[in-house]
Amino acid sequence: MTGKERILARIEGRAPDCLPLMPITMMFAGDLAGIEYRGYASDHRMLAEAQLRVAERFGFDYVSAISDPAREASDLGAAVEWFDNQPPAINESRALIHDKGVLSGLAPPDPSVPGRMKDRVEGVRLLAERAGKDLVVEGWVEGPCAMAADLRGLNTLMLDFSDDGPFVEALFDYAVRMEIEFARAQVEAGATLMGVGDAAASLVGPRLYNQYVLPYEKRLIAEIRGMGVPVRLHICGNTRRIVKGMGETGSEIIDLDFLTPLAEARAAMRPEQVLLGNIDPVRALRDGTPESIEAALAECHAQAGEAYIVGAGCEVPRGTPIENMEAMARFARTRR
Amino acid sequence: MPELQKLYDAVLNGDQKTAVAVTQEALAAGVSPMELITNYMVPAMDKVGSLFECEEYFVPELLLSARAMKGSLELLRPLLAASGAEPAGRVVIGTVKGDLHDIGKNLVASMLEGAGFEVTDLGADVPAEKFIAAIEEKKANVVALSALLTVTMPAMRTTIEALKQAGVREKVKVMVGGAPVTQQFAEEIGADGYSDNASAAVGLARKLVA
Repeated sequence: MTGKERILARIEGRAPDCLPLMPITMMFAGDLAGIEYRGYASDHRMLAEAQLRVAERFGFDYVSAISDPAREASDLGAAVEWFDNQPPAINESRALIHDKGVLSGLAPPDPSVPGRMKDRVEGVRLLAERAGKDLVVEGWVEGPCAMAADLRGLNTLMLDFSDDGPFVEALFDYAVRMEIEFARAQVEAGATLMGVGDAAASLVGPRLYNQYVLPYEKRLIAEIRGMGVPVRLHICGNTRRIVKGMGETGSEIIDLDFLTPLAEARAAMRPEQVLLGNIDPVRALRDGTPESIEAALAECHAQAGEAYIVGAGCEVPRGTPIENMEAMARFARTRR
Repeated sequence: MPELQKLYDAVLNGDQKTAVAVTQEALAAGVSPMELITNYMVPAMDKVGSLFECEEYFVPELLLSARAMKGSLELLRPLLAASGAEPAGRVVIGTVKGDLHDIGKNLVASMLEGAGFEVTDLGADVPAEKFIAAIEEKKANVVALSALLTVTMPAMRTTIEALKQAGVREKVKVMVGGAPVTQQFAEEIGADGYSDNASAAVGLARKLVA
């Protein structure tokens, strides 16, 4: 099987020849290719080169255009700080929607005009051209809560839930409309899977998640699936209290961070829901040994059951030893 | 005499308006600031911390309680300063250089403030020199360093090194935290303590200044 066939078989409930392998790599991929992260995040050719190299080196079943959460916010004019060799970051102290009134005058960004969103679209196109036959090509968008936090400021958004619910809904609606068009542009460029990252959602707890976040995640994911591609929902952090809702989003792959035991996710979701993850990226993967990694992944697999894809809880950290990644790859290739 | 239990409830429920109103009434009735802090606000924030730890409260609820507590504290601070009351400790806190993430740091700062510490929050992306200057200026006895990224964790080590070079390391206890930070890393870089959540950070700070 090719990597693409393997992932699609898993998603479609057919038996792949071995476990699919889909760890998130960004800085790790850049380092492996000798590319500084500023270049990785700003030039799709460098990102594609690094992704192709890391996928080839470890036999990943996919390549991804994920790089940082600031692409959409950058194109909207948010204050973004750049660093030479780590991801750009949004400066919350100068949040774009510091004043709620800004939202009503904010036109959604156009991913077809030059900017950081278009750069990702071109990255997807290049990856699809060079590897789309054999590997899944993953596009990436921000989820509603993450995108709202990027624009409003995470601290402020957390208070908005209590202070002004209708504003939060308007902001989430804006975020979802923007991300639908961003996803569409990536699908048209050749993405065969769409990642949705909604990191901030792990902070809000089940009441606010179910009331505010889940309906907008569902809408975004339904729209993307309507474009003919499956979805991978990734929420960083502790999602134990919202994991049931995550299983109701309609996302084909639920990608969990290490703080949520896969057994809890499995118990909260239907048996055929594909789970991805979720060894501790730092303590288990970077600081572990090939033997301990194999044991940790075996535990994940046992907890998740058959509908499982191998990965870490979040991004593979910079500095992860090569032999540790090889151990992860070996695990995937030798298990079903 | 105002019902002071309402202050406890207002902080616990994140009701800033009521917290401020009850504080004003209490002060007008001659209640001492320390009584309000010690008997109502600190217990309320302790309760918030335990609700957070057992996942009954989440970040929004914790921030609302912190806002209510701060609203009340703003009225009390000038009076405390005038009376010469000593805080539980003096903490300088910030996210280290190169890291713009601040919500974890903000939670810890709020919980420490709620526990009666005097907290100087330097914000995010803070260079070592700013920590050093604040330690001297505020006569801090605790420095709290936060990092969310594996790539900015090394700045914790360089900050501690800079404290040594500046001759202030022995004046302060250093505590570290943040998603990728581990106890092992804390020990490697010579920190005095590590906590993996905001509520436990309060216990750690209390222990460090004891």
